[in-house]
Amino acid sequence: MNCEQLAALYEEYALGVLEGEERAELEAHLARTCQTCTPGVAQARWVVAQLALSAPDAQPPAGLRGKIMDAVKSSADSARDVIPIEKSKASQQRAMFPAWAWAAAAALALITGYTIRQMNNQNDQLAQLRKQMKLATMQNQALQNQLDMDRMVAMVMMSPDSKPLKLMPKDKNMPMVHAYLHPHMGVAITADQMPSMPSARTLQLWFVPKTGKPLSVAIFHPDSSGEIALVAPVTMPLNEIAALAVTEEPAGGSPQPTSAIAWMAQVN
Amino acid sequence: MERILQRDSGALEVLYDRYGRPVYSLVLRIAQQPSSAEEIVQDVFLQLWRSADRFQVSRGPLGPWLFTMARNRALDFLRLKREKQRRREDSDSDILPSAVVRPDPEGDIDQSRRAEKIRALMTSLPETQRRAIELAFFEGMSHSEIAAATGEALGTVKSWIRGGLLRLRESLGEASS
Repeated sequence: MNCEQLAALYEEYALGVLEGEERAELEAHLARTCQTCTPGVAQARWVVAQLALSAPDAQPPAGLRGKIMDAVKSSADSARDVIPIEKSKASQQRAMFPAWAWAAAAALALITGYTIRQMNNQNDQLAQLRKQMKLATMQNQALQNQLDMDRMVAMVMMSPDSKPLKLMPKDKNMPMVHAYLHPHMGVAITADQMPSMPSARTLQLWFVPKTGKPLSVAIFHPDSSGEIALVAPVTMPLNEIAALAVTEEPAGGSPQPTSAIAWMAQVN
Repeated sequence: MERILQRDSGALEVLYDRYGRPVYSLVLRIAQQPSSAEEIVQDVFLQLWRSADRFQVSRGPLGPWLFTMARNRALDFLRLKREKQRRREDSDSDILPSAVVRPDPEGDIDQSRRAEKIRALMTSLPETQRRAIELAFFEGMSHSEIAAATGEALGTVKSWIRGGLLRLRESLGEASS
């Protein structure tokens, strides 16, 4: 089929109903980044996505927004404890006071000083408590995130649609890394007994396409017990992935691999 | 999105205020369970927060991208729930969807007007045609699965869906012009 014939199928493909030969033909055009079909399907996705607006209107639970923002804020590094300090400009007017007034002022100053010190102590305690609460919330959130991640890893691992892969280490002293490639849920990576890594370095997972440059999928670090468990999204068609590879990179990852492949598995 | 890339959580609040309701409505329609829908919507927005760098403004508008991601998540949930082992070799519908490009970026109508248009269009379709499109979109069924579910001939189902989608495309074209 040529592009003109395939154009009639773009929306059905975007909807996910297309099967068999028609689907295979269109995917063949997309796989080679056909200049007509690729933008055509992207536009069709926009059209089909509008069907979302036909769902019966429903009010999200009141607490959902807060839950999302709590989860985001605890993971964000945007927490800032900024305490603005304003220096008041007191007037420097001098006046004549009798002695008793000076004594009263001194007593008042003493009481005020004592009160301020007490308040500062209480503020310090309050700040300490807030810090502890924040730490506890972050630890709790980190545990929750880990649980969520473990659950996602388990879902991908157990799915019958996942393709299990063994990433073999180039260094025989290193453990094997397992990957589970799922077309929709993503790629799950697991490993244990990994050696610890310096914080300035990271591991980076790559999709190696049949043609073209490797595509970064995820950067990760073994945890304190040497375990790895993560799920990263699949960002290219599975049939275009020739291999999965892991390299060691500077912290933050690299746009393209800068070191030799440390683990690798052939996919197709 | 640029503010999200700069880890400004306030920007995510703005996006939630704009898209939270339609995304929740969509996910609830697919998942059918409020507790699961809540969990999925939370996952979708967290995924948006974590993967903002994978969304490129130049490749299309955010709303449909978000709807596509939410639909994929909710359909994955539905598939797991039903324990069906349907193998959909659908590599284009990842958790993070591919490019979603608006046909005419110049025509800018607001979301509520577009929602009215879509609902009116769906209501105007014959019951059987509307049902076929709903089974495809909200339940992730293929042509042959819809034919089996409705007891209609495969060709009939294809023709319903093709006709419905064509009307949708035309209607959106009119609405945004």
